[in-house]
Amino acid sequence: MKFAGALAAALLAGSIFTSAYAQETIKIGVTQPLTGAFAASGNYVAQGTKIAEDEINQAGGVLGKKIQLIIEDNKSNPTEAVSTVEKLIEKDKVPVLIGAWSSTLTLAVMPKLEEYKVPMIVETSSSGKITTSGNPYVFRISPTSAMEAKAFQPLVKAMGIKKADFLYTNNDFGIGSGAEYSKMLKENGVQVGVMETMDPNATDFSAQLAKIKASGGDTLFVTTAVEQLTLILKQAKEQQLKVRVVSCGGSNSPDQIVAQAGAAAEGSFHTAFFPPWFPEVTKNPEVSKRYMDEWKKRGYNVGGLTEGFRGYDAVYVAVAAIKAAGKAEPEAIRQALWGVHVKGVYGDIAFTKQGPAGKESGQNVPSVYLVTIKDGKVQKTSF
Amino acid sequence: MSRYVFWIIVALLATIPLWVTDYYLLHVAIVTGIFIIAAMSLNLLLGYTGQLSLGHVAFFGIGAYTSALVSLGFSVHIAPEIMVSLAPQPVWVGILCAAVLTGLVGYAIGKLAFRVRGAYFVIVSLSFAEVVRLIALNWVELTQGPMALNSIPALTLGFGGYELSFLRKPQFFYLMLFIAALSYILIARLVNSRAGRAMIALRENESLAMSVGIDVTRSLVLATIVSAAIAGVAGALYTHYIRIVDPNIFLFIYTVTMVIMVVTGGKGTLAGPIVGGVIFGFVPEVLRGMQIRPEAQWIVYGILMIAIVYFLPEGIVPAVRRVLVSRRGKQYAAGFKEPQAENK
Amino acid sequence: MGELLQHLLNAIILGGTYALLGIGLTLIFGIMRVVNFTHGELYAFGAYCMYALVMPLGFNFFASLLIAMALGALLGAFIEIVLLGRLRAADIDTTMLVMIGAWIIMQNTEQLVWSGVALSVRTPFPSEPLVLGPMSVSWGRLYVFVVALLLIAGTYLLVNRTKLGKAMRATFQDRDTAALMGIRIGRIHTATFAIGSALAAAAGALLGPVFVVAPTMGDLAAAKAFAVVILGGLGSVPGATVGGFILALAEELGAGYISSGYRDAMGFVLIILILLFRPTGLFARKERIG
Repeated sequence: MKFAGALAAALLAGSIFTSAYAQETIKIGVTQPLTGAFAASGNYVAQGTKIAEDEINQAGGVLGKKIQLIIEDNKSNPTEAVSTVEKLIEKDKVPVLIGAWSSTLTLAVMPKLEEYKVPMIVETSSSGKITTSGNPYVFRISPTSAMEAKAFQPLVKAMGIKKADFLYTNNDFGIGSGAEYSKMLKENGVQVGVMETMDPNATDFSAQLAKIKASGGDTLFVTTAVEQLTLILKQAKEQQLKVRVVSCGGSNSPDQIVAQAGAAAEGSFHTAFFPPWFPEVTKNPEVSKRYMDEWKKRGYNVGGLTEGFRGYDAVYVAVAAIKAAGKAEPEAIRQALWGVHVKGVYGDIAFTKQGPAGKESGQNVPSVYLVTIKDGKVQKTSF
Repeated sequence: MSRYVFWIIVALLATIPLWVTDYYLLHVAIVTGIFIIAAMSLNLLLGYTGQLSLGHVAFFGIGAYTSALVSLGFSVHIAPEIMVSLAPQPVWVGILCAAVLTGLVGYAIGKLAFRVRGAYFVIVSLSFAEVVRLIALNWVELTQGPMALNSIPALTLGFGGYELSFLRKPQFFYLMLFIAALSYILIARLVNSRAGRAMIALRENESLAMSVGIDVTRSLVLATIVSAAIAGVAGALYTHYIRIVDPNIFLFIYTVTMVIMVVTGGKGTLAGPIVGGVIFGFVPEVLRGMQIRPEAQWIVYGILMIAIVYFLPEGIVPAVRRVLVSRRGKQYAAGFKEPQAENK
Repeated sequence: MGELLQHLLNAIILGGTYALLGIGLTLIFGIMRVVNFTHGELYAFGAYCMYALVMPLGFNFFASLLIAMALGALLGAFIEIVLLGRLRAADIDTTMLVMIGAWIIMQNTEQLVWSGVALSVRTPFPSEPLVLGPMSVSWGRLYVFVVALLLIAGTYLLVNRTKLGKAMRATFQDRDTAALMGIRIGRIHTATFAIGSALAAAAGALLGPVFVVAPTMGDLAAAKAFAVVILGGLGSVPGATVGGFILALAEELGAGYISSGYRDAMGFVLIILILLFRPTGLFARKERIG
């Protein structure tokens, strides 16, 4: 009996202590798809945020307090995304958000950001609309499809592309990427053949690939996530489609492709916003290595390195803004974000103004890399 | 429930925004309320005519898109040379259009789909919702497809010089409550009318109903029109609250939500969808707050579904009613009526 | 011309797998009248079994298929006994909701255990395809096609030539008379569900290595299975077989010549058209509506 009493007292004291302690944290809201169609990627990003959280707290936190990530699952669904943002802002009173992974999810929550006047750091979405809609609460560290296409431009001649076909998913991500790349290619004198779409959940592309084969281009640009990319490569090989495949969008996890597509992946090209196979070429190699080492130490799936860093960088950006603002308040943080300079895995992160005057959003200009798979390994391209 | 009870409950609900200051809870209440309106409309079809439609979310979504497009304005080619345009209209016009258009679609579906029954009807309704989703996804010129229609305006009403805007949560709560009460009254009236009794006869024994001269198809079509129109209005409300709509609104999981609300609450009772709606509207939020992995939250949700359906197959409201009735024992035994009394 | 032939070949190969998906469901949905939302999950379960057996445990690829089927049958029997046992006389929507609940539980359990990352199963087939003139087909898909045909034939024989099959058909034609004749109704229900589930698991075990294994893989498969069942007529194994090929043809040609975005809509459009104009499906026997 006495022991139970002492235990209860200890627990009570402990809970009072921790709850009082807990009030000393600065909260950062994270909304990611942890279940549903995009669960794999969302979980990687969340893992990246957790690594950053621990690193920052070990180094003493910010403004004398520790940071606390509140990670909500938006279930890969725009309505849920709105709910998570409502909860994070209304209930948890977070002064800054990170999210929401896909362009559709991010666009869905943008009106809420304006309504509640809380800034959000966009870590993955690629649709141009996000930073051109006149929403001053959006700060994106990931590149737009337009930027990615522009970075690819010098390689068009080097690779000798004469006629290109497209295969992309039927959503913001794929359609935006297809539109930007085809525009860039046309501006550089390349003929565009067929532009095929696919449902993000489809697993059989035999019809689309047969059409692409009949089109006769020399290069196929594919924009989708890694699962479909693996299947496309395998099925292209089955149909004897002998074109050069270039995958765009940065959600293509080349390691996973090598592991799962095997010989079918040989000779393919992939854009990446972070090349974990040779981190020394990134703008901030020490940051990249630090992130990678911690990721591997925690035993996370190596295939997720190419996505987790987005969450990692986003947390560092949020913390830099909080520090510069001097207080954990949404408006102060929003203004401070304009002035941050963070050495991240994405490169040197800073925000430039984009969108209608007076209501600009912030856009970072990260580096874009192109890798190829040769002899079963991811390698630098010779271009 | 008697009329007094109904108005007392409405009055009580109307006070909610006054003492619930947590806007997040209010948000959950509003979304739940909108789904309850849709569930009530599904109940009309499922509970009173006995036909299980798994495509109900199609009406909800069509209403949402209609209202969004009317209030945003659109221009689309219906043939290579012919373009149809509409300038942005006030939101209340959008909601009205949503009701009318979904009602029409309901009419068409009613006429066509009710050639089949039972398991076949389930599948046809499911397929209909899927096809509508795929149209919304692919007819990009009209619906923006997966890029979604955003910046949808909120409802504003002008009287003379005074303007009432339903942007903030408390106002929207009242709007939702108003529409919900209206729908309830409409459905209650319909169910207690001659047409309603025809529907119930149809549910209980279709061939017998036909043999006494009830026009089965007409009853079904009427039920479908009203059911669809109410669902359409619910969808329009939803879209002017969330202010963004994309093809995901047609996802099967929303139909599941509505069906669960109706069946667990008690199909064929007016209060059923409300009870079921409150439970299954708030359960996901409660689970979200429980700090367990998202997958585990879903698993608990699934278990809860199965448990309620298993142990209370008629639903919660009929089960509660049975308990109350047995308590009043002899007093009621003489006057206790058959299912006719159920439709309160 | 080469493109058309490739489309046709793709359709034939795909048709075999759709047929396999369909016959499992036509037994459950068609004969038992259970709107079986767990069919897709049994499909995914079969695929995950393959993955678990072949990859970490290193079992033989071909033996793993049989094991996956057996496990699928057991899981199906379990579901039937535990969940459906008390609901045999219940409304269609009650059973349906229970099945939906089971579907939610199964899919999220899979994600909990395996995480959402797509998994690949190693196959013993060469990666170079078999080339026939302007067409080519992978060995893996050819294997799937052959096994699917064998399973379809086996099921047809089971339903039409064995005592169990006779008992099944009797039970669902007239339950009370069958019971009077001494047939154990409960056992028949369980056996039917188990067989249907084993076929779904087989489809998953066959297709998992061809595509990828992910928790949501069952959803689309289930949708197509329903389309196939409706096309062929509820309860008809030959109907489901032909239905599978028709669906595959409609998808391939529709995606190839009309629009690839609407590919998966083909199945649903077909369902609606068939149900509106020939509600009993292409092959079913006389069927009382309702």
